[in-house]
Amino acid sequence: MKRREFLGATAGTVASAACGPGQHSPPLSEFVGPDPERGHHLREGTWREGPVHETIHTEVAIVGGGAAGSAAAWRLRRAGLGDVHLFELEDDVGGTARGGELPRSRHPLGAHYLPTPPPGCLALERLLEELGVILGRDARGRPEYAPSAIAAAPLERHFGRGRWYEGLYPAAGETADEAAQWARWHAHLRDLDGRRGADGRPLFAIPVARSSAELRHLDAVSFAAYLDDLGLVSERLRWALDYACRDDYGCTLAQTSAFAGLHHFLARGLEETRGGFLLTWPEGNARLVRGMLERADLGDRLHRGAAVVAVDPHAGELRVHRPADGRRLRVHARAILWAAPRFVLGRLLVGADPLPAGALTYAPWLVASVDVRTAPRGIGARLAWDNVPLAGPSLGYVVATHGESVDARRPGAVLTYYEPLCGDGPAELAAQRQRLLAGDLSTWSDHVVAALAAMHPGIASEISRIAVTRWGHAMIRPVPGLLFGESLARARAPIGRLRPCAADVAGLPLFEEAFYQGCGAALAALADLGRNAPDALADELPA
Amino acid sequence: MSAAPGTRLLLASVLVVATCGLVYELIAATMASYLLGDSVTQWSLVIGVYLSAMGLGSWLSKFVVKDLHARFVAVQLVIAVVGGLSAVALFYGYAYLASVRPLLFSILVIVGTMVGLEIPLLMRIVGDGQELKDTVARVLAFDYVGALLASLLFPLALLPHLGLVRTSLLCGLFNAAIALACARVFRAHLPRPRALLVQAALICLGLAGGLVFGGRLERLAERELYDAPVIFSEKTAYQRLSITRSGDDIRLYIDGNLQFASSDEHRYHEALVHPALAGVNPRRALVLGGGDGLAVRELLKYSALERVDLVDLDPGMTRLFGRDPLLVRINHGSLSDPRVHVHNADAMRWLEEHVRTGSEVYDVAVVDLPDPNNFSLGKLYTGSFYRLLRRALSPAGVGVVQATSPYLAPRSFWCVVKTLAAAELHPRPYHAHVPSFGDWGFVLVSPAPRPEPTRLADVPLRFLDDALLPTLFVFPRDQRPPEVDTNRLNDQLLVHYYEEDLRALPGRGGRG
Repeated sequence: MKRREFLGATAGTVASAACGPGQHSPPLSEFVGPDPERGHHLREGTWREGPVHETIHTEVAIVGGGAAGSAAAWRLRRAGLGDVHLFELEDDVGGTARGGELPRSRHPLGAHYLPTPPPGCLALERLLEELGVILGRDARGRPEYAPSAIAAAPLERHFGRGRWYEGLYPAAGETADEAAQWARWHAHLRDLDGRRGADGRPLFAIPVARSSAELRHLDAVSFAAYLDDLGLVSERLRWALDYACRDDYGCTLAQTSAFAGLHHFLARGLEETRGGFLLTWPEGNARLVRGMLERADLGDRLHRGAAVVAVDPHAGELRVHRPADGRRLRVHARAILWAAPRFVLGRLLVGADPLPAGALTYAPWLVASVDVRTAPRGIGARLAWDNVPLAGPSLGYVVATHGESVDARRPGAVLTYYEPLCGDGPAELAAQRQRLLAGDLSTWSDHVVAALAAMHPGIASEISRIAVTRWGHAMIRPVPGLLFGESLARARAPIGRLRPCAADVAGLPLFEEAFYQGCGAALAALADLGRNAPDALADELPA
Repeated sequence: MSAAPGTRLLLASVLVVATCGLVYELIAATMASYLLGDSVTQWSLVIGVYLSAMGLGSWLSKFVVKDLHARFVAVQLVIAVVGGLSAVALFYGYAYLASVRPLLFSILVIVGTMVGLEIPLLMRIVGDGQELKDTVARVLAFDYVGALLASLLFPLALLPHLGLVRTSLLCGLFNAAIALACARVFRAHLPRPRALLVQAALICLGLAGGLVFGGRLERLAERELYDAPVIFSEKTAYQRLSITRSGDDIRLYIDGNLQFASSDEHRYHEALVHPALAGVNPRRALVLGGGDGLAVRELLKYSALERVDLVDLDPGMTRLFGRDPLLVRINHGSLSDPRVHVHNADAMRWLEEHVRTGSEVYDVAVVDLPDPNNFSLGKLYTGSFYRLLRRALSPAGVGVVQATSPYLAPRSFWCVVKTLAAAELHPRPYHAHVPSFGDWGFVLVSPAPRPEPTRLADVPLRFLDDALLPTLFVFPRDQRPPEVDTNRLNDQLLVHYYEEDLRALPGRGGRG
């Protein structure tokens, strides 16, 4: 219960006794999400040695219960393989797509939406069909999505100079030249939209590994340099694109590869023409993870709060420590799917990691959900799903209760605040991570309240609860050179019986990448076991 | 008998105070009967409460022993603020509060008490050094003349030309001006003249500003007003339902927007239901919206009908139309028919659940929802919603969608048509003239293409016949489809089209 320190609980009681009715007690805050202690133990190897209480033999062991691990478990079950164990370090599954619950509503702790997949993502569509997100198909075979999962208008607004404006491009007061640059940027995107390379593949594909070789050289330059070359220097445009990079990748414009930046805008087709939606749920992508795990039906083969502390990939052996009761397991698996962050593996491997430490970099994030007694408003554009300030490092907040049915009619809302802690190099990132993990509960809840109050001056007295999540390694950073470089190839190369398959080894921190990594690794493991998967779809197989 | 300038000002004050005091009372009574209905009760309650509050004020005046001038100015300022803003407060209170009565009576008690306090104070100030009989005679004479003035001015000049909001602001301004003048003339008698002067000036400015922008406030507020006496008004969890009656004509308003007039609703509901059912004898029917039970009444004319599912968000609405004798007479008790099942739910969620659970499909669906004037309603006009609708219909099923007015809101109407086409519902737009709405639009839909209906079923009808039917599908030259996009859940263009269409209208039209 250490990390569940309730701040101001007693002070709140005293205050509410002292004040008359109508006075609100200060918000209750708590840390939720990943336990930094456990990461610390893994790093220091304190749980590595000890007696074994139980030995498990299994066909496939999956390490990590996030999007990739759940997808792998779901995929194996779909292929008829039941002898699968999944080990999740935390007490709850989900990884960075984990969900939480405040009195008013469920809310995401991290990843919170999925764009409807572009044509050709057959495996992903099959999942969405199974989960009831795709209700059926129209006469042309295109999926029809459940309205309750679609993020509805108004979708976005931004805050600057004391008022809210619709959309995420700060158009108010732009010059003719700035408007022309914005138009030119869109013309540029339209020009690239839907194009395929000489190899017949889309220029920007999902999963990214299926992209044509044609423009892969753009991964060598930063998105900022790419825009410089195009003469796109408008501050408004750069803000909008920088926002997109920070939002998707936890990186600034200068830290993101141009390929990754363009991939964001083009991989699913242009927003204005693709006719797609953003799929979301109050608890974010935790809904998808839960759906996959329910279908995987692992029963007691799903081990929560189980830290994998040593990995022998050639022997197919894992050592697992359960911090709750101190029990230790030895796991013998014919195949190991490493669906946890790749950097963790290096610390646990018996023998040397072919991937140098620090080859992959990860962005730290601060995420906090606040339970407010009345939904925020503000001058100008009305409350949207995504509400973004122009100033400051934060990405603003997403309204977890946005999609609530109108018959709910409950007052209040849950807002989820997002802030990536961007850094230029490993040293800056380490400093950011250190700052994030060193800050105590009151530091971060005050920080979040202050950031929200900058948009909504009176909001502090409306907040009843704050749930703060610190992600030390929230997502892989697609910095220039990563996507098609040597490091990533090494990172995802199998080691003995082990296959790394989290989103990070795909190079882009997206649900789709995690999903395809998980499915692909599952199919590869099946092949290793000499089993076939007759229902395999083209997009699940290696590119 | 020569009056000092101070005395003349005070006597003018009596006149203004009396006039404004009565105007506030008239405003409160008018609004109470507009908003709450049953005008006899409202008027007598308002008059009673106001007069007794004046009595309270007069009695309280004995406790005011010093600084009479300062107290008088302060009282004026309270009246100026509370009385001046009374109409605005009542309009917004009506829109946002569960019950407007506590607000109404609070305003009455405050203004009444202050007016009651003020006349004795004035008498004591004027009477300083005069005989009692002279003072009483002069003050009361001006007081009663003021009452006459108010009773003539209010109905003949103020209400017709300024409306309620600006009338109350104007009277507030007069009170504040008197306070300002008195504070200047009697500054020698005031303990803190400057503070009072500044306060009075600020209140004058505020009320004057309100008067300037009063037109806008008034337009917003007038939406809540009706042409006929209100006989019922209730704020449910979702909306305000008001029913007016003028002779035999009964009208339902939702949030101030007309939903039907009993004199011509048969035109609307026959046009809504029967073209879809030409050549169909439905077994299972779905009604989305339509909590007034009027579309259901038309559906129940079909002999084969076994079940109607009615989905309306507001239990207050379906309860009212299921029980109220006057309304049950209009919908022929349709909501109590054993074949009718009422579901109080969000139509989108209900339909999604229905589709997801693979429940039985319908032969006919009637979508009779309020116009898309906000995002919550706009959702129920999106492609996503219509795709659910298509799935809820049997392959040979039919449906009809209320689609705003092709004349008053052409872009909205054709946006609905285009959205239905994109959802593969083979739309056939048509329209009918409903006098209380104007030219009103509907769209026939079906999962499979169907020919235009030519023969109505043999059911009792007052408006439609086979000769009229084909003409409904004809749109004149000036009503050809404009260039519009489809309405999608993630952009809701329709809500913008609808706002723009209505803004382009000279007057407010349609069902709001």
